[in-house]
Amino acid sequence: MNSNKLLQYIEGYVNIVVEGYYIERFINICSNKQIDLWNLKRIDSITINASIKISEFKKLKQICKKTKCKVKIKNKKGLPFIVRKYKKRKVFIGFLLLIIIVIISLSNFVWNIDVEGTTSINPQEIINIAKEEGLDIGKLKGSIDTKKVINQIRLKRDDVAWAGIEIKGTNVKIKIAEADKKPEIIDESEFCNIVADKDGIISKVSARNGTPLVKQGDVVKKGDIIIAGWLEGKYTDKQYVHSQGEVTAKVYYTSTQNVELKEVQKIETGNIDKSYAIKVNNFQINLPKTLPKFQKYDTIETNKKLKLFSDFYLPIEIVEKEYKEYEETTIIHSIEEAKQIGIDRAAEQLQENLKDKKITNKEVKVKSEPNSVEVEVIYEVEEKIGIEEKIVF
Amino acid sequence: MRRKARKLDEILEIPVELSTNNPKITIIGFERVLIENYKGILEYQEYFIRLNTYIGIININGFNLNLEEMTSDDLLITGKIESIDFEDLSEEDDAENLK
Repeated sequence: MNSNKLLQYIEGYVNIVVEGYYIERFINICSNKQIDLWNLKRIDSITINASIKISEFKKLKQICKKTKCKVKIKNKKGLPFIVRKYKKRKVFIGFLLLIIIVIISLSNFVWNIDVEGTTSINPQEIINIAKEEGLDIGKLKGSIDTKKVINQIRLKRDDVAWAGIEIKGTNVKIKIAEADKKPEIIDESEFCNIVADKDGIISKVSARNGTPLVKQGDVVKKGDIIIAGWLEGKYTDKQYVHSQGEVTAKVYYTSTQNVELKEVQKIETGNIDKSYAIKVNNFQINLPKTLPKFQKYDTIETNKKLKLFSDFYLPIEIVEKEYKEYEETTIIHSIEEAKQIGIDRAAEQLQENLKDKKITNKEVKVKSEPNSVEVEVIYEVEEKIGIEEKIVF
Repeated sequence: MRRKARKLDEILEIPVELSTNNPKITIIGFERVLIENYKGILEYQEYFIRLNTYIGIININGFNLNLEEMTSDDLLITGKIESIDFEDLSEEDDAENLK
């Protein structure tokens, strides 16, 4: 039984209308001659609809003569008819094939590299290492030696604990597991000095082991030995030890800010204009669009890679340029205001250094100039400055 | 001879519809009838189908009857089927033979 609808569609069939008085005879002859009919439907006393394979349609002519029936084609269905329809459109078929070939060949290249799992490492550095080993955008997928690239990344970077490369579609994912930098622990048994790691004025030295070389109020520079790793008794020789102790010092942080009295401020008006461009590798095509009518504007460029599926990146980028209009307004600060702004800015700049530290003093120096105010802010901070340093003989 | 052949079929468990020319009628639900081993169509109307088989005639009454698929020995009829009845020719033949 020919029940496979899909097969019928692939082979192609025609819906026909049979007209005549001896339709039963027509059907019987068809079935005797092994001609498959299906979807037979009575319309009225002299007509029926039926479906038949293309290859068997020609045989009907004879039967029609015999039974004095008329056969008309109602419609044609199936692949062969679609193929025939497009056979005349050679250019269309040609381009369709070309596109398929291009897509298949493009899928053999790498068009996107992602680096995953980095927090402190700059992904670009990893990509650069990969580039040296032959993993780059535009390279054939088959030519990439992933093992070699992984080894090189691990060799060149100490802070990478593990690296993996996953090639999916045209997308390459480099997975990185970062290693924490080993803190330099100096063994108790080794001899060490305590050294200043910042410039400052010593406010307190308490040595638990070793000989303090500075007193309170001494000025130390970075790298100066504060507690030396040896002991010297009256009757004993110089004896090296692992020095221990706490050193607190006043450290000064300064920041100089130049605040113009006449300041120009940008205020966005909210008007946005967009233009697009297509970028293929380094070749950029700007889509026709006149520059924005705004007098003053900021330009923000965002690049977006085209992809077919989730992992099939194409070597085409769409560049979106966003123009944001802004207005300039000039604000004239009074000297007092300018001073405050300077202090605020300095505080912001030094915030990183001052975090969680005790501020003991704050000094503000203001220098007035005709058009601007120079504000120098000095923070006096008390903090621990000693670090251990191994004694090298 | 014919009896022996029938016995052999019984021993070998050959289905009846294969060993004899009897039609096999399968009714699926109320809207599908599959008839295997038929001889020809005597009449086909939207409400009535008359089929010839080797042992008699099958009448199918209903509405919107379609011959969904037709090959030389299978026939699938769909549509709202009301009743199926048979006109047994072989019995008449036997009766005639007896006379």
